[in-house]
Amino acid sequence: MKLRNLEYLIQEAFIGIWRNGIMAVAAVSTVALSLAILGVFLLLVLGSHRFVERQLAGFEVAAFLPREASQEDAEKVRDTIAKLPLTKNVELLSRDKEWAEFKRKMNTKIDLGGVTDNPLPYALHIESKDPRKTAALAQQIREIPGVKRVADAREDYRVVRAVADLVKLLGFAASVVLCLTTVFIISNAIRLTLFARRHEIRIMQLVGATNWFIRIPLVLEGIILGALGAVIAVGLVAVSLEYVAGLVVRMLPPTLRDVSSGVSHTQFIALLVLGGAAIGALGSFISIRRFLKV
Amino acid sequence: MIELCDVSLVYPNGVQALSHVDLRVGRGDFAFLVGTSGSGKSTLLKLLYRELSPTEGKVFIAGQDITTLPQNAVPFLRRRLGVVFQDFKLLPQKTVWENLAFVLRVTSVPRREMRKRISEALDLVGLMHRCDSFPAELSGGEQQRAAIARALVNNPPILVADEPTGNLDPDTSWGIMQILTRINARGTTILVATHDNQVVDRLMRRVIALDCGKIVRDENRGTYSSTPESESMCKSEITES
Ligand SMILES: Nc1ncnc2c1ncn2[C@@H]1O[C@H](COP(=O)(O)OP(=O)(O)O)[C@@H](O)[C@H]1O
Ligand SMILES: [Mg+2]
Repeated sequence: MKLRNLEYLIQEAFIGIWRNGIMAVAAVSTVALSLAILGVFLLLVLGSHRFVERQLAGFEVAAFLPREASQEDAEKVRDTIAKLPLTKNVELLSRDKEWAEFKRKMNTKIDLGGVTDNPLPYALHIESKDPRKTAALAQQIREIPGVKRVADAREDYRVVRAVADLVKLLGFAASVVLCLTTVFIISNAIRLTLFARRHEIRIMQLVGATNWFIRIPLVLEGIILGALGAVIAVGLVAVSLEYVAGLVVRMLPPTLRDVSSGVSHTQFIALLVLGGAAIGALGSFISIRRFLKV
Repeated sequence: MIELCDVSLVYPNGVQALSHVDLRVGRGDFAFLVGTSGSGKSTLLKLLYRELSPTEGKVFIAGQDITTLPQNAVPFLRRRLGVVFQDFKLLPQKTVWENLAFVLRVTSVPRREMRKRISEALDLVGLMHRCDSFPAELSGGEQQRAAIARALVNNPPILVADEPTGNLDPDTSWGIMQILTRINARGTTILVATHDNQVVDRLMRRVIALDCGKIVRDENRGTYSSTPESESMCKSEITES
């Protein structure tokens, strides 16, 4: 495709949109709505995923040594744990720091005046390579001589995981349905363009236009409709997050409030616009294939 | 230039529009394809620009077998073959000039070249003064000339025309025919499907007569009909009436 044609092809795409204005408005608004819902679901899924990950990060195994254990004993246990195949990271906590922290936190609630000596045992935090095998790791650590008590949180983990999986599944199902609807709507808009210009297209074919020459403006038209819808969708998502999500989050307990998705604004906008464009292109292709069938 | 070898065509609905047609039109020839309505003229022309493919037999354009031409090569065949359609097929929302420019743009002709070629084609049909008119503002003869100019604008070596004088009065028809002979004089091979006996008889050129999808006559300097009695009717038309 030569460059001088590009201007013409793009111009043709805009003419197509202009000519069937109402359908274009319908297509753009449907795309906007579907993509907005899609975007919200995406943020929800990503948010819950990140939430779960963060919770899991806190679900490391904790091992406690007997009170009488020395720093040396603690280091020996740490090295043993470090050698376990499931261990990703093991950290020996500083007793003094923990005690200071504990005192700082508790000062306001409990009078610790009587306790002067550091009563805390040596403790280790162990991160598992595979969050699913935390329990097995805990069991292995329990069997190490010199370890007094091991704590893991697999019960909590299971619930959080299940909820996150459900959100993901629902999000995925909704995304598929919405994508299909959008493709359908755009392919209909393009079909109207094709119908409005059927004589022109027929003549193009008869005077020797290649199929690509006929297709490009139509595919561009689909891409423009999709991307335009996506831009509006971004606006809708922004507004709904600002006003609606703010309300919802305030109703949640404090520990659950941080459900941000971790996706940057630019990433989100780029994703939605590219998605809209791709859906638009796909919609065009479908009707063009049916219409030209050459 | 144009060659059909034992070509038959059966439409999906079972109508046999052409049966065992053998035909050769040489480079620079001018030939009329005559026959009553329904005899298969349009069908034969459609085979030449691959609007249709024969059920049987082969079609050659400039020595190339176009029946086996892959679909993505068809546009390039059509650029080498100017077609004047029975219903003109001019775009109503474009001016005459734009209708010609449309063809060149579709076939990726450089802009500088476009102006030159459009002027040439419009001059040849004598329509330069109407280049800014819309098809609806033109008379039938002028529309036909615009359609011929459009078919010529790619400088094709072959021009085929389907009933170019179909709806025109005798004088206008004669004008159109003179344009076609002028184009032929420049070396373009021309095949004209027509049932206009006046122009055929007056021009005395090669006449290929179709009847019920069969070639029944092929004369180098012929008239529309050889003898009135030899005119037959297609079976389908008999059953219709
Ligand atoms: N698209 C089509 N489908 C089925 N039959 C057709 C079609 N086009 C033409 N025919 C039939 O084929 C025969 C030849 O038609 P055509 O080539 O148009 O004749 P002409 O151009 O000489 O009038 C006629 O009987 C016509 O009814
Ligand atoms: Mg006909």
